[in-house]
Amino acid sequence: MSIATNTLPGPRVRSIGSERYRRRALLFSAIMHQACIGFAVVIVLLLALVTGYLLYLGCASISANLFLEDVIPKGMPGYPGGLRHGIVGTLTLIVMASSVGIPMGMLTGIYLSEYSSGSVLAAPVRFICDVLAGVPSIVVGILGYELLVRPMGNQNAYAGALALAFIMIPIVARTTEEMLRLVPKSYREASIALGASKAWTILRVVIPAATGSVVTGVMLAIARVAGETAPLLFTAGISQYLRGVHGPSPYIHLQELQEPFPSLTVQAYIFATGPLKEQKYLAWAGILVLVLLIFILNLAVRLTLRNRHKV
Amino acid sequence: MSTDAANSFPSPSTVSTLTPQVPSALGSRRVFWGDMILASLARLGAATILLMLVALLAVLLRASLPSIRTFGARFVTDSTWRPNELTHNKRDAQGKLVRDEDGQNVVEIDPPRFGALPVIYGTVLSSVLSLFFAVPLSIGTALFLVRIAPRVSLHLMAVVSFLVEFLAAIPSIAYGIWGVFVLVPLLGMNMLCGGLILGIMILPIITSISRDVLKAVPRVQIEGTQALGATWWQSSVQMLRYSRAGLFGAIMLGLARASGETMAVAMVIGNVPQIKASLLFPAQTMSSLLANEFAEANTPLHVAALSEVALILLMMSLLFNVVARYLVVGKQVQTA
Repeated sequence: MSIATNTLPGPRVRSIGSERYRRRALLFSAIMHQACIGFAVVIVLLLALVTGYLLYLGCASISANLFLEDVIPKGMPGYPGGLRHGIVGTLTLIVMASSVGIPMGMLTGIYLSEYSSGSVLAAPVRFICDVLAGVPSIVVGILGYELLVRPMGNQNAYAGALALAFIMIPIVARTTEEMLRLVPKSYREASIALGASKAWTILRVVIPAATGSVVTGVMLAIARVAGETAPLLFTAGISQYLRGVHGPSPYIHLQELQEPFPSLTVQAYIFATGPLKEQKYLAWAGILVLVLLIFILNLAVRLTLRNRHKV
Repeated sequence: MSTDAANSFPSPSTVSTLTPQVPSALGSRRVFWGDMILASLARLGAATILLMLVALLAVLLRASLPSIRTFGARFVTDSTWRPNELTHNKRDAQGKLVRDEDGQNVVEIDPPRFGALPVIYGTVLSSVLSLFFAVPLSIGTALFLVRIAPRVSLHLMAVVSFLVEFLAAIPSIAYGIWGVFVLVPLLGMNMLCGGLILGIMILPIITSISRDVLKAVPRVQIEGTQALGATWWQSSVQMLRYSRAGLFGAIMLGLARASGETMAVAMVIGNVPQIKASLLFPAQTMSSLLANEFAEANTPLHVAALSEVALILLMMSLLFNVVARYLVVGKQVQTA
C-alpha cells in the first residue's frame, strides 16, 4: 500500500508493489486469458451448432425432387414436392437486381475513386453509401412496395428486384471504390503519359488491374441479397409455383414477372412458420441449399483475395 | 487509407499539350468524348446514391403522413397497438349494461388504435439484450484473435476469423429457422429468445470490427505496459481503453444491425405488441411488426401507421449508423 495515493497528479495508481497484489493480478490475468479463449470457443461452437443442425436436418430432407418439383399441396401425390420455383425465382430476382445494381454500384465506385477529387460531393456520397448499407432491409421492402407495387396494383418481380438492387448498390459501390484505390497511382500516370484519355485509362488500365477484387465485391453483394427475405415479403410477395416451369418452356414467362413471384427465402419462411411438418423439412433443405451457395461464394472470395495478397 | 493516392490525377490536357498552363479556352485541348460519357455516367451513379436516400425518406414520410396527421406525437406514447376495431357492450357509470328500448344491449365500437410504444420498447429492449450477450463474447474473441491466436499460429487466427465472418454471411432466415427448431422448444417464444438470437447474429460484426480496431493499437502502447510489469490482462485493458472509441463504434454498429434485423426475430419473439417487464413474455419489435402486418394491412390508416413505424425504424438505424461510422472512422484517422 506504499505507492497508492491520490495526491500524485495523473491517474490514480494502485498498489502494484505488494506481492499479494501481484499474485492476485496474475491470477486474474490468467483467468481472463482463459476466458477469452473460452469466448472464441463459444463462438466457433455456436457456428458449429447452427450449421451442424442445418446440415443434419437439411441433408435428411434434401432430394432430387427439391430441384425438380414445385410445391405440391397436402393430399396430392408427390406431397410435399420441392422448391424448384423458389430456386428459379431467387436466381431470376438476383439476375434482375444485378443487371441494375452492379452497373450503378460500379459507376458510383468509379466516381468515388477516380472522379471525386476536389468535389464537395465526395464525402457525402461515400458517407451515404455506408449509411445506406446499414438501412434495415425491411424498410427497403416498404420503399419497393410504395414505388412499384402500389402503382401496379399487385406484387411483382420488378418490385422485388428493385428492393434487392437498392441493397446491392451501396455494397458494390464501396467495394469497387476500395479495390480501385488499391491500384497504384503509377499505372494511371503511365497510361496518361502514353496519351490515353482518362476514360480509356479507367476502363482499360485501372479496372482490368482490379478485376479480381471487384468481382469478389460483386459476389459478396450477390451473397448478401441471395439470403434476403424481409425486402421480398411485400414486393415480390408469395407464390407457390411458376407457370413457365410447368409450361412448354423451362423458363419463366415474362408475364409472370408482373405477378407475385416466388423466392427461396420467402417460401422457406412460409413453410417454416406453417403447421405442416413435411413442409418444415422442405424449408430446411431449401435453406441448406442457400447457405451452401453463400458459403461457396464466400470461400471463392476469400481464396481470390488471398491469392491477390500473395502477388 | 490512401485518400489522396488516386485523387491527384494528371488531367489528359496537361499531358497532351506541351504547355499545361495554356487554358483550354485557347483551343489547344482535345475533346475526349469517352471521357465526357464516362464522367457523366459516374456522376449519374453518385447522384443515384443521393437520390436513393432522398427517395427512401420522402416515400416513407409521404406514406406515413395520414398517420402523423391523425395521431401526432401520441403515436410514440400510446401503448396500444390494435389494428382491428373492437366492439363491446356499453356500460353506464355504475357498470350496468345499457339497453335500448327493445331491451337489446347497446354496442359500442372502439376504433383501431395505433400506438408504437410497445414495438419501440420491444426493439430497444431486444437490441440491448442482444448487446448484453454479444459484447463480452465479441470483445473477448477479438482479444483472442489479436493477442492469443497469432502466438499459437497464424492459421488459427485465419480460420477463426473466417468462421466468425461466415457467421455473418448466414442469412437471417436460417437463424430464424434454427431458432424455431432449437431455441423455441427450450425457451418458448419470448423476448429472451429474440434477444438471444439477435445476440448471436450481431456477434460477427462486433467481433470483426473490434478485431480491426484492436489491431490498430500501436505496438509501443502494449510494449510500454508490459515493460512496466503489467500482466496480460492489465495490458489488454490498456488496449481496450486506448481503442475505446472504435470499440464503442463497433458496438453501435451491432446495435444498428440488431435494431433493424427482421426475419429471425419475427420467427422467435412471439409477435405480441405488449410491454412487459419480464423477458419471458412474447413481445414485438418494429421490424417484426412490419413483417407480420404490412402485407395484410388493408385500411389506409393501418398502412400509414406501419409506414410511420418504418420511418421511426429508419431514423433510429440512421442515427446508430452515423454515430458508429463517425466513431470508427474517427479512430482510424487518429491512429493512422
